[in-house]
Amino acid sequence: MISIPYLTALTTYFSYGLLFVFGQIRDFFRKIIDWWSANNLQGYAPICLGLEDFYIRRLYLRIQDCFGRPISSAPDAWFDVVERFSNDSNKTLKRTNKVSRCLNLGSYNYLGFAASDEYCTPRVIESLKKYSPSTCSSRVDGGTLMVHNELEECVARFVGKPAAIVFGMGYVTNSAILPVLMRKGSLIISDSLNHNSIVNGARGSGATIRVFQHNTPSHLEEVLREQIAEGQPRTHRPWKKIMVIVEGIYSMEGELCKFPEVIAICKKYKAYIYLDEAHSIGAVGKTGRGVCELLEVDTADVDIMMGTFTKSFGSCGGYIAGSKELIQYLKYTCPAHLYATSISPPAAEQIISAIKVILGEDGSSRGAQKLARIRENSNFFRSELQKMGFEVLGDNDSPVMPIMLYNPAKIPAFSRECLRQNVAVVTVAFPATPLLLARARICISASHTKEDLIKALGVISRVGDLVGIKYFPAEPRKQMEEEERMKLE
Amino acid sequence: MYVRTVPPTDLNRNTEWFTYPGVWTTYLSILFISWLLVLSLFNCSSGMAWTLVHLSHFFVTYHFFHWKKGTPFADDQGIYNGLTWWEQIDNGKQLTRNRKFLTVVPVVLYLIASHTTDYQNPMLFFNTLAVFVLVVAKFPNMHKVRIFGINADH
Repeated sequence: MISIPYLTALTTYFSYGLLFVFGQIRDFFRKIIDWWSANNLQGYAPICLGLEDFYIRRLYLRIQDCFGRPISSAPDAWFDVVERFSNDSNKTLKRTNKVSRCLNLGSYNYLGFAASDEYCTPRVIESLKKYSPSTCSSRVDGGTLMVHNELEECVARFVGKPAAIVFGMGYVTNSAILPVLMRKGSLIISDSLNHNSIVNGARGSGATIRVFQHNTPSHLEEVLREQIAEGQPRTHRPWKKIMVIVEGIYSMEGELCKFPEVIAICKKYKAYIYLDEAHSIGAVGKTGRGVCELLEVDTADVDIMMGTFTKSFGSCGGYIAGSKELIQYLKYTCPAHLYATSISPPAAEQIISAIKVILGEDGSSRGAQKLARIRENSNFFRSELQKMGFEVLGDNDSPVMPIMLYNPAKIPAFSRECLRQNVAVVTVAFPATPLLLARARICISASHTKEDLIKALGVISRVGDLVGIKYFPAEPRKQMEEEERMKLE
Repeated sequence: MYVRTVPPTDLNRNTEWFTYPGVWTTYLSILFISWLLVLSLFNCSSGMAWTLVHLSHFFVTYHFFHWKKGTPFADDQGIYNGLTWWEQIDNGKQLTRNRKFLTVVPVVLYLIASHTTDYQNPMLFFNTLAVFVLVVAKFPNMHKVRIFGINADH
């Protein structure tokens, strides 16, 4: 549920309309000018049909300097952002040699493993020297090392399932597994705000796809009932399988899934459930085991648990955890296991060491400290932002907090002004989010100290005043007033 | 004054923005503001101004709703490349609230334009032609129909 001030909605539509009109006028003149100049296509068809790249050419390129900023250091709490300049109003950007040290509020560095760590990094370097950076082979040919088996056992133990299988790339984990599990004649019901990898995998599987309203278990039940009653399209035979796909934390909203209700509905209608914990594994829950631990759901109730190692573990790759039979089946059908190169050995070693730190098996309590710190940092930051009057989405305990911007002009204003004050934020606009709901997404890490957060709050508050995004009334500082009253007395 | 919005289940980013609150008001206020602009720039009678607004509304909405096909971005891989914007809204479902609203607006504009010009002849002919073309293009039976192959895919 997002509350927009009505006037902001009107002005946002009007701004997008104006941008669209300007883009169309420029395209019109470009067509006239190009008609006169020589046509060097030599009989080939043009790559883009007329309207297809309109959004990129006329809207995205104007604010291109806010996206894709190159960095020249590890993405720790503070990092170096390379400065760029443009001579032709953002059509091309050139890098300079200067870097600026900025506070990192954009990386998915939830537990601080992105930079070098005292337990993990020596082990990773040793593994790099012993095994070399790549296995140069797929898992079935010659690419299964001891470290891969150890990693799969480690992940299965951490997540709480009997067995797990690991892939070299997180996106591929979704888009290569769904076509294997679901075929024509099955039904996939996915949340409307699911990640692109799930949408791609579902489209590639050939199954029928239905979408239910984001995080609304009652609508899920309605869709399930309707689809089970109707059966397959045109033949009306019963569905071969039904799978409901939800995510643990939605990366654009920062909110947790209403998991217990969804599980109850799936059990009632005998549908399988697929949980994508890309952002929640390692970041939420008392011992970091993800959304199942946080919402007290038994992991035996979830059929397939998927996650990635890029966010909390500081590595690359993804995993699927499930029953032994499922993993055995995936090992001889999934193309990502049969044909793709296996996960790099030092990356696997990083994940194993990170899991050991989180569980406390390295002999120190750093894991528990990191988990406590990320929870405190997220709750502190979110409550302070809400007190200042920003509209922040997401539930408590979630380390992802989007600040709503709405107007398209505020996106580059917020991003550039924050960069000038040495805070790097990630802004997201259409088409990754709905048209009206552009936002700046902040990811809190366990390596942010209290001073970093207070500096960030100060900068965001000043920039928020300049740009005008404090849509809610700020809460009065009752404590300060009481102190002043006591001083007067 | 705040309005609440829920993310809709429309996967087509080109048309999903039309389901949020405030679109109808923006549309009507753009029409009203353009009438005021025409009246102040061209020094004509208010009836002529309404006729000009009605005819330019016809050209603009015909071009963008019923002529241009596809979406302005490439990540939906061209699924909607054969459909105009009118055929894409609400996932192709006919007679929804949005479609009824968009059908009523040209008719109301026509009534205002013809009333304020006192039904005089050259303007009446053009106004009637415009509203006839627009309303026929929005009929449910005209979904994906291309008359004489005009604007069909190659």
